[in-house]
Amino acid sequence: MNTRKNLLSAPIFLVIFLFQETLMNQLHLPFGGFSVFLIFTLSWCALSTPETGALAGFAAGFLLDIAPHSQGPVGQWTLVLIIVGYAIAYLRYGDDSLRGNPLSLVVMVAIGVIATLLFYVALGALLGMDLGSGFQLMKTIIGNGVWSLAVTPFLLPIVSRLHANIFETREFK
Amino acid sequence: MRRSGGNRSRLLLVTLIVTSLFFITLDLRGVQVMSGLRSGAQSALAPFQRVASSAFSPVGNFFSDVAHLGRTRAKLKKLEDQNAQLRTTLIAHKGLDAQVAALKSVLDLAGTAGYKVVNAKVISQGSASSFSQTITIDAGANMHLTRDMTVICGDGLVGVVKAVFPNTSLVMLASDPSFHIGVRIAGTQQIAILSGQGTDHAVLQLLDSQSSVKIGDALVARGSEANKPFVPGVPVGTVTSVSNAAGAVSQMADVKYYAHLNSLGLVAVVIQAPATDPRDALVPKAPAPAPTVTIFVTPTPSPSPTTTK
Repeated sequence: MNTRKNLLSAPIFLVIFLFQETLMNQLHLPFGGFSVFLIFTLSWCALSTPETGALAGFAAGFLLDIAPHSQGPVGQWTLVLIIVGYAIAYLRYGDDSLRGNPLSLVVMVAIGVIATLLFYVALGALLGMDLGSGFQLMKTIIGNGVWSLAVTPFLLPIVSRLHANIFETREFK
Repeated sequence: MRRSGGNRSRLLLVTLIVTSLFFITLDLRGVQVMSGLRSGAQSALAPFQRVASSAFSPVGNFFSDVAHLGRTRAKLKKLEDQNAQLRTTLIAHKGLDAQVAALKSVLDLAGTAGYKVVNAKVISQGSASSFSQTITIDAGANMHLTRDMTVICGDGLVGVVKAVFPNTSLVMLASDPSFHIGVRIAGTQQIAILSGQGTDHAVLQLLDSQSSVKIGDALVARGSEANKPFVPGVPVGTVTSVSNAAGAVSQMADVKYYAHLNSLGLVAVVIQAPATDPRDALVPKAPAPAPTVTIFVTPTPSPSPTTTK
């Protein structure tokens, strides 16, 4: 792990977050749409070591937490994304057959999005958030998963190029 | 499988998780620093949102407009006859016309009721992935807005101001799952509680087991103490179905909001309620039946007396 490299990725996350908050949030997509920021974060984690995954999850979660429209307590997205970021990086880092296979990466990111939202809802329920009808929740979560499955292949080349630029000399290669 | 520095990695993970739990605890205990963070983030985002909103608003509604293609087709046909330059001007004017129409209808509603309002433009919608239903508007403390003010549009209730920032405010839409409002059924004056469901429909629960509700009943806001968060008389929605579960303590019903909460452009924030409750005056009138066509036949000048019909 290299602190300087991790710090270098912070501006990229900020730019993607700004893009999501200003432009993507203006689109009204059917079935809940998708979050570019979430897909970006999970793809980034999937390409990293577990340590970097957890750190990226922490940073991304904190940004989502301070976004003005987020309802839960500050720290809810952070907790969710640390664990999902670590898990997704751990699973890919450990398994050689998964690494370097773009299709499995896309499926993994989509499953990651669904897992993140389910985890967020479950944590929200524990903390006493009002969540509305179960049908609407399921529609949003599954809709997000399907959208992510469709969008990730287009985002993945950008994410992996940015990631390679920063972590070019990865210690495990 | 290769694990580099397994212990260090685990220590980092635990530290991060503990930090996030620390944040959650601080926020749930109401420490000011945490809400200050969100307020700061909104102040930083506002100028970007404003620029993006003005540049992006024609595209933003594209996907929801696809569902109403038939309605826009007639308009397009008319435009095709005109030359390219005129068409561009017309498109630019169309956006302005829609804003003027929205503004006019919202002022009509506010004027009838005697509300004092501040108009505002919607500059951002809540995120797709968060489960809250919110909008950000371009008026804040600079327009003397405060928390818990009612937000309306030309059709009726939109929501309530949840947080006020220097130049913008966050509005919780009536469709948010944590939104609850006391309503009165127009006409019968029975009271009930309406709860948002995350969709454009809400669930109505009557408070009295003796009262009943029927499809088509209009609902207006009952009003809160000191007019916060809700001023009385704002039209909320109409009952679309009634569920009569045996053994239920009181009746439940499904309600559709008057306002189209997912395609809002202009809204108004009520900063002062009327001196008197407007009661049912604001409930939209039911569409008038098509006028029957009466044909008068002028009797042809004829000597025969049988043609007088």
